[in-house]
Amino acid sequence: MEGLIATGLIGISLGSQYALLALGFTLIFGILGVVNFAHGGFYVMGGYVAYFCAAIIGLPYPLAVLVAVASTAALGWLFEVFILERVINDHQATLMVTMGFYLVIATAILVIFGAESPQFDFPLQGVWRAGAIYIPYANMVVLGVCLAAIVGVYWLVYRTNVGRSMRAMAEDRPVASALGMRTKMLFPFAFSLATGLAGLTGALVTPILALAPHVGDPVLAFSFLTVILGGLGSVSGATLAAFLVGLIEAYAAVYFGGSKGALILFVLVLVILVLRPQGLLGKEARRA
Amino acid sequence: MKISIGRLLCGTVLASAALIGGATACELKVGVPAVLSGPAAQWGIALRGAMEFAAKEAMEEKRIVINGVPCTVSVMPIDTKYTAEGAASAMNAFAAANIKVIVGPVGSPEVTGMKPVAKRNRMVAMVNSFAKNSIGPEWPTVFHIGPGPSGWAGPIIDEGLKRFKFKSVAIVAPNDQGGTDIASVNAQIFKAKGVAPTEEYYQRGTTNFAPIVTRMLAAKPDAIDLASSPAGDAGIIVKQLRQAGFNGPIFRLGGPGTEEIARVAGGYDVLKDFLWFEPIAMDDNTRALEKKYEKLMGAPRPENADFFRWVFAARMTLKAIQAAQSIDDAEKISAAMRKLPVEDEHIGKGHWIGQKFFGINQEMSYPFAIGIIEGGKQQPYKRADAVKEG
Amino acid sequence: MKELPASERAPFFGTYEKVTLGLLLLAFAVPFLTRNPQILSQSNLILIAATAALGVYIMLRMDLMSFAVPAFMAVGGYTVAMLGIRSGVTDVFALAAAAFLVSALCAVPLGWMILRLKGVYFVLVTFVLTEICQLLLFEAGPLTGGSNGLVGMPSVTVFGYEMYDNSHVLMITAGLAFVGFLIAAVLTRALRYEFAAIEKNDVLAESLGLACWKYKALAFSVAAGVSGLAGFALVNMLLTAHPTSFSPLSSVNYITYAIVGGKGSILGTLIGAAILVSATEFFALRGELSPGLYGLLIIVMTLVAPGGIMGLAENFFRRFGKRDSKALETKVAVQSGSGHS
Repeated sequence: MEGLIATGLIGISLGSQYALLALGFTLIFGILGVVNFAHGGFYVMGGYVAYFCAAIIGLPYPLAVLVAVASTAALGWLFEVFILERVINDHQATLMVTMGFYLVIATAILVIFGAESPQFDFPLQGVWRAGAIYIPYANMVVLGVCLAAIVGVYWLVYRTNVGRSMRAMAEDRPVASALGMRTKMLFPFAFSLATGLAGLTGALVTPILALAPHVGDPVLAFSFLTVILGGLGSVSGATLAAFLVGLIEAYAAVYFGGSKGALILFVLVLVILVLRPQGLLGKEARRA
Repeated sequence: MKISIGRLLCGTVLASAALIGGATACELKVGVPAVLSGPAAQWGIALRGAMEFAAKEAMEEKRIVINGVPCTVSVMPIDTKYTAEGAASAMNAFAAANIKVIVGPVGSPEVTGMKPVAKRNRMVAMVNSFAKNSIGPEWPTVFHIGPGPSGWAGPIIDEGLKRFKFKSVAIVAPNDQGGTDIASVNAQIFKAKGVAPTEEYYQRGTTNFAPIVTRMLAAKPDAIDLASSPAGDAGIIVKQLRQAGFNGPIFRLGGPGTEEIARVAGGYDVLKDFLWFEPIAMDDNTRALEKKYEKLMGAPRPENADFFRWVFAARMTLKAIQAAQSIDDAEKISAAMRKLPVEDEHIGKGHWIGQKFFGINQEMSYPFAIGIIEGGKQQPYKRADAVKEG
Repeated sequence: MKELPASERAPFFGTYEKVTLGLLLLAFAVPFLTRNPQILSQSNLILIAATAALGVYIMLRMDLMSFAVPAFMAVGGYTVAMLGIRSGVTDVFALAAAAFLVSALCAVPLGWMILRLKGVYFVLVTFVLTEICQLLLFEAGPLTGGSNGLVGMPSVTVFGYEMYDNSHVLMITAGLAFVGFLIAAVLTRALRYEFAAIEKNDVLAESLGLACWKYKALAFSVAAGVSGLAGFALVNMLLTAHPTSFSPLSSVNYITYAIVGGKGSILGTLIGAAILVSATEFFALRGELSPGLYGLLIIVMTLVAPGGIMGLAENFFRRFGKRDSKALETKVAVQSGSGHS
């Protein structure tokens, strides 16, 4: 029983990390219709910027995290305005440029910081224990930030004018701009919000796990998986799917082992998608 | 008469000058297929650094002199991306440039991909990789730079048994050739020493190891072996093991990278009781090697400790070339290599092994060191002799 | 669907198809022109990449982006390795048929499951398929050699003659590539109107009476078969079936070759593979910078040529051909199928 609870806690920790990543990804996908292959790049960049500020310059950790968010948001803005905007209507082209951008970011980090992992610790060490059940304090912080971010994004997208405009643009861009919504401002804003979220996740999660130039590689696959599973463009769907994926991964890995566990996860996802193509909370199998 | 003697003299002088001028310069080119991108980049960078150093050293000290002519030694590194076809195409590029001497590659898939090409193009190669079939009788011109766990795991486990008590061990490694070959060998050696092993494999690309750690600890092992898990992964595993409450000793019976593991885990006190294979026993000699590198290349040596193993391998290759008096005959160089004593001026003496494990006696075995951290404090390295066959 | 009168229909093989097949036939000549191992190896890699990218191209004709190419390459490659090592089959024709058919047959039940999905869902499901394939290769240790792969495949034979060295390997690859492209060309030309209708709007096409699922399934199977041929060529080059050759990440490469080359025509796939594989080899000499340089290249090419290199070329000729004749324009537009640019 304790084992089940302990595993469940791990699953929730995993889920919170995936949810933070999925949030940004689903925003970009839902609103711009863009599959952001560079998502992992902003994640790892957030980690390194925070590391640089905290460990090399010596800023306090929360400030380092804020700088990381600001820098990834800024880079996302610039990328959207100068590169992505030109190909925004061609789905395959957006895939290409974002993928190319990921390679550029990952290589730049490798060249600047080197291939080896630096020491980047979460300021709050220590573990809460109750018998065999435990959860590190750091994971609790990430869970808290995750929930706050979800609430914040949900409020922004569904309860503010900016959010309404973004959703209108996602539905029908020409009509929305004819109605006076400034797409030239809103698209970059949406994109940089998403990349800022990715940077936030990187700054928070890499001290808990590891920081290295290649840690962005698996991010794309999991974000993609979670977002589709949850239903395109649905913030609540992505969140639900993230926690679900986290729990499945945790239980499958603990009870079946690393590679069988991953196999079980992927097969389950495949089955769910085949049976319910619109995802858990999606409305229709929206054509991308 | 005078004129004809004068003319004869001039002619002779001119002819000799022509002959000397026409004596072909000796250019030894060494191909280095190295992984320079992705998670394994640090190993490739160490390989490249070692070879470039050995090449420059050989030129400055005129170590390669063929038929009385000192040779220039140049290095051609190509990124192999840790895949079989990356290595194969790098080897073909070397073949096109008429390069017959290869030092590298690093990883098991790469060695798998490059061997057929090396054979087809008659090249002599010094390879790494802990795969069970990295060298063999079918590839007589392929040599192994150093023993894998089959060689040195035993002494390290013995040292561990002396300091700590454990009857069972959980071995964790990634689910690809670089992981499975080593973990299975480690398991056998643990069993032979009376320690019951379990093996856990994880999907490459896993970032959060908490579930794997939970699973490993469910079997209640007394000790953990990180095998050849890459340093970043190993660091997270150690960090999460300690968070989960595991306090037993941890082995790393795989490649180097302990400093990086410590950084990711959060310090030596998190590692607590930790034993690992250190390719080199740091002493005055090896420190002199580091200084020589810095002086010759103008920068500190590549951080990864595999650098030393590659320097050993590179120098042995160059010695074999010198002994064979040939820069491109793979069979001659291989024959000379087999006769060379395994020794290096900075690293020490060893011998050839491999007959029992691979079927061919072409693996270099030289002294190494056992790294020990006890109670969070690093102990002095324990020097271990070169392992014999086993 | 009514056929156009014979006089108005474009010829069965358009200019692009003829050029592509012609270039592939030229590839046979390369081993006779040079012994340089690098040129031989490079050509080999280009042809394998182009054949694999074909698997992407065929599905792109219906606006479906498939990440499943490495999975079917693995099926083809491992089938060939198993036949070679376990049953001693080395005849190239038998192996090629096996690589094509086994992959195509595997695609049938998978296609039945996933072809009702569209757009980005299809992308994700094919990606998951490739991940599952990698894991299965590892788990089915005794059958597939697990993480070590199947090593030491015997050289293939053509009518009993053993093809063992670099130039022979290239000829086998050229043959496989030619067959793959021929099959793909026949499929896409014979069904070009149906594919174009599905690509534009499959719901509309269905409502007009087109049984979309038949064509999608056929295309998916053929794409899988062609990928199987590419897998055969790769395994033949390395004489080993190794899991790292079929990684999910390589699917991104094949998609890139097809799109950067130009998804509107079959020639684009070949050109894209040729240019990008050469670029990768060139960048590999620059060590750590290679992925970054490759990424920059992709970005620049996509911005400069959204229709791919072929799209750029078409625009170029169109601008210069405008003075000549309108007929040339129409011809080019019809022959490139959907007229995408």
